[in-house]
Amino acid sequence: MTKERPKLTKADIRRVNLRYMYSSQLGWNYERMMNLAYAHAIYPAMNKLYGDDPEALKDMMRVEMQFFNTSPVLLPTIMGVDLAIQNDAGTESKEAVAAIKTGLMGPFAAVGDSLFGAVIPTIMGSLAAYMGLKGNPIGAILWLLVACAIIILRLFEMPFAFKQGKKIIGSMGNMLQNLTESASLLGVLVIGGLIPSVVKVIVPFKLVIGKKTMDIQTEVLDQILPALVPIALVALAYWMLGRKHMNSSRVIWIFLILSIIFYSLKILGVPTA
Amino acid sequence: MASNISVIQIILLTILATLCALDAYLFAGFQLSKPIIAGFLAGIIMGDMETGLIVGATLQLMVLGIGTFGGASIPDFASGAIIGTALGVVSGKGIEFAIGVSVPVGLLLVQLDILARFIAIYFTHRADKHVERGEYNKMSMDAWLTLIPYGLSRALPVGLSLAFGNSVVKLVLDYAPDWLMGGLKLAGAVLPVVGIAILLHYLPVKKFAPYLIVGYFLAAYLKIPMMGIAIVGLIAAMIYYKNISNKVAQPVGFDGNENDEDEDEEE
Repeated sequence: MTKERPKLTKADIRRVNLRYMYSSQLGWNYERMMNLAYAHAIYPAMNKLYGDDPEALKDMMRVEMQFFNTSPVLLPTIMGVDLAIQNDAGTESKEAVAAIKTGLMGPFAAVGDSLFGAVIPTIMGSLAAYMGLKGNPIGAILWLLVACAIIILRLFEMPFAFKQGKKIIGSMGNMLQNLTESASLLGVLVIGGLIPSVVKVIVPFKLVIGKKTMDIQTEVLDQILPALVPIALVALAYWMLGRKHMNSSRVIWIFLILSIIFYSLKILGVPTA
Repeated sequence: MASNISVIQIILLTILATLCALDAYLFAGFQLSKPIIAGFLAGIIMGDMETGLIVGATLQLMVLGIGTFGGASIPDFASGAIIGTALGVVSGKGIEFAIGVSVPVGLLLVQLDILARFIAIYFTHRADKHVERGEYNKMSMDAWLTLIPYGLSRALPVGLSLAFGNSVVKLVLDYAPDWLMGGLKLAGAVLPVVGIAILLHYLPVKKFAPYLIVGYFLAAYLKIPMMGIAIVGLIAAMIYYKNISNKVAQPVGFDGNENDEDEDEEE
């Protein structure tokens, strides 16, 4: 046993927490992704723990500089657990820290990215776009407010995770999983409503049979199913995205070119308001 | 009502584009990189909020489902919305033209994002060196320096295209044929389906297919506005959350470490 190691205080955690708040993905790069943001944020705590042993400090900072990538919204929880373990075991926790970081980043990325990267942007983005199309800024402002609320809530994560240590991982995982799944349900329902509300594409073609002109859109398609053309287009895009060698940018390019062709052929059009 | 863009507006829009790009790296959460937010703010700067909102909203629908998963680069429709809104307002050619400009711009600018993230590798290697020497403040400085390539990747193209874009755009517009302008207008209406389709790939759409139909029914037949549909969705989500939380409550072990093997795991 060497001399007593310094222990982390609430103030230390607060400092790291605030540092992470404004450097969430600072230094993001293709090689190790979020490693610089992580090392930058956690450094003051490392310095407190190992400051009087430069070799130990360097050793532990090397661990924190390794590849890391997860949801920036949930990262503070991982860092809180990381700090709790190091606070208990010091340099002996080196392998445990590396293992916990790599073990948690995958599941946390999956949950965090789908909740904060897909579901919430879907719901808020749908509302904001729906209102924005009418020139109404309320939806966009609402989204900004939700974003600020999430940033504020993020501040409570790290102190909580530090206090709970390792034991929160299991229970929190379950709760987040359920929350994500329920929020996905909401997202799917909103999307169902979004298709007929915002995609305004029609078939302007008019069929002439003898003396009678038949408006394909209002007299045929609308009778079968409202918003049939938008639904068909979504289905086409959905199918294309499932093909090999396809990504979002390519599909957007293809749709852009097809739009020009179909407009020229007068097969598809935009309703005149 | 074609007008000219002022130097101050160009500077403000360039700063806005830079902030939109840096948001992801700094706070990762103000959502400035979302096209509707960027378009909204660009519209305010240009003194035509409505154009900004409509351009932003249309682009927002195109990227609805495109998240930054695992650090994937996505079409930069925030910069697209800024450039599109600005040129749309000054050319006086209206919203369809603004959207038509912003789509290709957003698709092309993503390449610069990729380049900036490659450059950041250099700084992470420098940081390694500084850690080895125990110079931790320099390590932090390396992290901050990456903001230069990130910021320039947006500031340069947006600033330049606003400074010179207007005259080029006017030239193009004078000769642009109807098939192009009309086609771009149609594209603005069609492209949101791509965003929706991408989203459907990410959401568990097969599992929740009935709810997709509920949403469609509420909008197409009952003509309920989106906010009302969201409220119905919220109610359904709350009931669902209650149900699954009760189900999971029993099999959790004492240490809470074991993930219970659900037998009701539907494909």
